[in-house]
Amino acid sequence: MTTIEPLAIELRRLSFQYPNGRRALDEISCTISRGDRIAIVGPSGAGKSTLLMHLNGLLPTTAVGTDEESQVLVHGAGVIRSRLRDVRRQVGFLFQDPDDQLFCPTVREDVAFGPLNLGVDRKEVLARVERGLAAVEMSDCSARNPAELSTGERKRVCLAGVLACEPSILVLDEPTSNLDPRARRQLLSILKAFTGTQIVATHDLDFVLDLCDRVLVLDAGKVQADGKTERILSDPLIMDRHGLEVPWRLRPANR
Amino acid sequence: MKLAITMTVILVAGLVPLEHWPAQGLLLAITFTGLSLAGVTMRYLLRRLVLFLPLLLVFGLSVPAAGASDLAWSWTISMWLRCTVSFMAGLWLIHVLPFPELLSTLRRWRCPLVLIAMLGFMYRYTFILWDELRRLRNARDARAFGGNSWWRSWSINSQMIGLLLLRAMERAERTHRAMLSRGWDGSIRFLNMDE
Repeated sequence: MTTIEPLAIELRRLSFQYPNGRRALDEISCTISRGDRIAIVGPSGAGKSTLLMHLNGLLPTTAVGTDEESQVLVHGAGVIRSRLRDVRRQVGFLFQDPDDQLFCPTVREDVAFGPLNLGVDRKEVLARVERGLAAVEMSDCSARNPAELSTGERKRVCLAGVLACEPSILVLDEPTSNLDPRARRQLLSILKAFTGTQIVATHDLDFVLDLCDRVLVLDAGKVQADGKTERILSDPLIMDRHGLEVPWRLRPANR
Repeated sequence: MKLAITMTVILVAGLVPLEHWPAQGLLLAITFTGLSLAGVTMRYLLRRLVLFLPLLLVFGLSVPAAGASDLAWSWTISMWLRCTVSFMAGLWLIHVLPFPELLSTLRRWRCPLVLIAMLGFMYRYTFILWDELRRLRNARDARAFGGNSWWRSWSINSQMIGLLLLRAMERAERTHRAMLSRGWDGSIRFLNMDE
């Protein structure tokens, strides 16, 4: 009998060190509940991307073997070597550069990549491709070469490819980088429509204000602050100390 | 269908006997007609041939230069004609058949999956690398000011090529990570659009 695990992600004193000895993550502990939308912010080099890559088992590169050693739990189960396939089905990862993820000759084939790998049968693959492209409003571009699309369109196709795997947790690394305001708004509305758990690493604090209810400030590999978005982002002490700044909307003169 | 035509032309070009000039002339005429029907301009064709011919000419001259056979010059000219025919047949194919359809045709012909996957990647990443190269070239031109000696230009360009290689390798690693994140386990699968 399985019980619905309320915790989507649990980090137990997660630490990570690069081969050259540099400590990227230092004893990070945190829990994220189902349906939460949490932003991870911090200066460049704080370890945001490194942390994100632990959530779907891309790091550590020699995957952990047993549940006891596991420092990352997804839906209550440790991210270990034997479970990587399941973890990657549950945790969808959107990378920063769309060209790193769009590697098939046409849009349709690329969105189908995930479902095909999951062993879904052909009719269902096609249905998921349709649904994924419809969710990002790119249904009329299914036969096109990704090279013909603009950056915003490529990002949406990448997101369609991730959504086609039907994950319950969405992890996004700098989703708004290189997007013009219209593309950014479109992305925001697509993400607001996604009902699962979302974890976003970003520098775009206005985006965080629009999308996320919780913020985690990461600096030098450690959690420096964790709490409600408005409270943390409007605190000038926290913001200045960690290389950020209070968003325009929250400054006392502009409220 | 179109792939079959191309392969036939190339095969015939390869098998035609050495001195059978009329046949070779006919093949040349056929491919030329095909190209003009496909809308390929003379200028485009010449530009592509310019890239291909020098190497071909050098190879062609190797036999007479070595004095290896009585039919040396016949062999050379025949070889030039046949290779040009094959090359133009290939050009015709990529003009009339969109690349994704070429890949699905190859798949139907039971071509090894690894080969098809590699062709697919190559197609996609040629565009990306071309963009990177354009960016590097723009960056170089913005600060080049034109007055460089050929040696300096040469060393700048070779640095650019090295950088391009490095960026290609880094991108390959990131792409691999993206593939793993979507459940890739090493086996190559394709979406079959027919049926």
